[in-house]
Amino acid sequence: MKTGNALRSLLPVLVILALIAAVPLFSPSNRFLSLAISAGTNVIALYGLSVLFGQTGILSMGHAALVGVGAYAAAILARDFGVGFWTALPVAALASAVFAMIVGIPSLRVGGHHFVIMTFAFGQLLAIVLTNGGDYTGAATGLDIAGPVTLFGADMSDLTRYYLMVVAFVTAAAVASWAIIHSSYGRTLRAIRENEKLAASLGINVGRHKIGAFVVSGVFAGISGVLLAYFLGHISPSQFSSFPSIYLALMVMIGGARLIEGPLAGGILVAFLPEVLNLDPVQSRIVYGVCLIAVIMLLPDGLIGGIVRALRVAFSGKPKQEAERDAAPSEARQ
Amino acid sequence: MKTVLKLAASAALCLGAFAHPAFAEDNIVKIGVVAAESGSFVSAGHTLPAGVGLAVKQINDAGGFKVGGKTYKLEMVKRDDRTDIATAIAATQELVRDVKVQAIFGSETHDFTLAMAKITQPAKIIHFAGNSTLAKILNPDSVKPGGEDHYLFQSEPQEFQRSGSTARGVLSLLEPLLGFKPKKSVMIVGNDATGQFLSSYYYKALKAEGQDVPDIIFYPPDTTDFSPFLTRAKSLNPDIIHFWYNGDSTLTALPQALELGAAKSYFLFGVDPGIWKEKQLSADVPVAMSCVPVCWGESSNPKAKAYFDAYFAAGAPHGVTSSVSLLYHDYVHFLVEAWQKADSFDPDKTVEALLNLHHQGVVSDDLTFNPTHQVTHATEVCAAAPGGAISCAMQQPPAEAPKS
Repeated sequence: MKTGNALRSLLPVLVILALIAAVPLFSPSNRFLSLAISAGTNVIALYGLSVLFGQTGILSMGHAALVGVGAYAAAILARDFGVGFWTALPVAALASAVFAMIVGIPSLRVGGHHFVIMTFAFGQLLAIVLTNGGDYTGAATGLDIAGPVTLFGADMSDLTRYYLMVVAFVTAAAVASWAIIHSSYGRTLRAIRENEKLAASLGINVGRHKIGAFVVSGVFAGISGVLLAYFLGHISPSQFSSFPSIYLALMVMIGGARLIEGPLAGGILVAFLPEVLNLDPVQSRIVYGVCLIAVIMLLPDGLIGGIVRALRVAFSGKPKQEAERDAAPSEARQ
Repeated sequence: MKTVLKLAASAALCLGAFAHPAFAEDNIVKIGVVAAESGSFVSAGHTLPAGVGLAVKQINDAGGFKVGGKTYKLEMVKRDDRTDIATAIAATQELVRDVKVQAIFGSETHDFTLAMAKITQPAKIIHFAGNSTLAKILNPDSVKPGGEDHYLFQSEPQEFQRSGSTARGVLSLLEPLLGFKPKKSVMIVGNDATGQFLSSYYYKALKAEGQDVPDIIFYPPDTTDFSPFLTRAKSLNPDIIHFWYNGDSTLTALPQALELGAAKSYFLFGVDPGIWKEKQLSADVPVAMSCVPVCWGESSNPKAKAYFDAYFAAGAPHGVTSSVSLLYHDYVHFLVEAWQKADSFDPDKTVEALLNLHHQGVVSDDLTFNPTHQVTHATEVCAAAPGGAISCAMQQPPAEAPKS
């Protein structure tokens, strides 16, 4: 893909994020800001998951565990070493990446459904370890995380400032994800996604690249965990167990894992749908289940992929196949 | 691109529509409730707004209350946390910053309460929560003026008191029904934050009462097949199996235990005898039940009947843990009395008044907060004999925590 075209694909996300950043100008409620911050931290993890699932074709059902590693790393660093937010960020990202590698090496020896089960099991295992970790992990009660988040001397604990900071991190995650998608590394990952055997026959070290993609997604998850921990001020194992992992996978599938807008759409939709429609958790799960079935059957590229395709067909009159080619980065056009 | 811009602009406008300015009337005092009215904790969650709502109605029907020569009425603003921490935090942010409540009640989930306190305490909002696990953070340093939890109050006794009172009640009621003094107990406990915390105290309480407790068996919170845990418990030949702490899980486990004949008697924490009767449960061995803090199906507390008649008449459902509402109902009255005594809504003066008052509540005629913001009162235990007769008792809690 030419650089101009590649940049054009990033522009809508940047415009949407700029508008999202402008939301505080409308004096939104603190409830909205709070939910948006939680959604934003999820979106950062989703951008990592989109690299793994959307580009490499590997679905992790234990991704919340990687977020948890980042969150617990930040909390333990703050408690035991007095390490603040900004130092915790790279360390927690590294910790999540290392954990992803440890999980990835044995898990990626198996493929497909087995990998999904393995990541799910590792996620559960982490929750069990945290729950039974005694005072070190705070056991089932979890850990408090104290200390203000400051940036150039400004206290970022204020809800609006924290919101803007999270939007900035989401933007960075989107740009990083876009850069990966449009790099030779991204093309390699997509080659593996499309045909592992063919990729291997071309000299691509499939196993190493799959682990690499998992590690990259761990970095995103670790950063997400630090932001979440400092926002909530308290973390516990239940926040990073199987259900949150399933929700992350659900968000990325509903939004669309292959397009840069997908994680953003999925994160916002799943966070705000119960709020807008006043759904209780049971109703929400039913709606998400129906959405997931609909997306898998009707919109394989997710909601955003479907919308883009529909818009192209509606406005440019392009035939379906051509619209599909335009909607997602294609190896033929690289 | 135009379409994208239009869509994005529409989205931003829609999101902006969430904004709604705080509204306050001169003679209305708003108090917030954050509780799980849906999701996995709904059983206990719905009791919070029901208990607080009843107290608000009672106070308003009595003409309100006077502070600074002016009469005020209460308004309850409740928010469903959907048993989700992100929603609980958003609800707390909304109540504190947008609605500008004077006090917050909830949540019933320990982790959520700790995260909520990070918002309520810097904002100097009086915060009542019925989690005995708050003992982990309520200490002389944290509750002193300027301390990080100065405005946080625990409306449930310290766990060594609740566990001690419960253990004494269970053993005293089961002994005559068994016809011998029970000596060996096994605990089966849900393995989550609350379960781990509660069981550590109840274990000590049983030991302090002379029980041999060879094992604490933890089960995953969403367990439905208890047979592996019950088989293990049965192998220890216990006189009593003590089920902690989720009433719904306990009611799932009990029939399996009875079928297996796992013990000579059972104790079900957090199951009201009212539910025992409504579900027409029966057992061929004695079964003790405890309520947090007073039972509605049968009670030795003289004020309980009038309270629960009003509680259920207001529309609250009969639940396993309906009595949890009393961990909040009494404290709305207590708080109003504190405001009246302080003659001010100033949070520091309110805290001072709360610490100096002796309040006559339903749970106890003498509700007081200790210097670390925790109450003391007994916990009611009832026991169903194999024939179906139910008897109840409230044993006073120990004055001090057991040493071991």
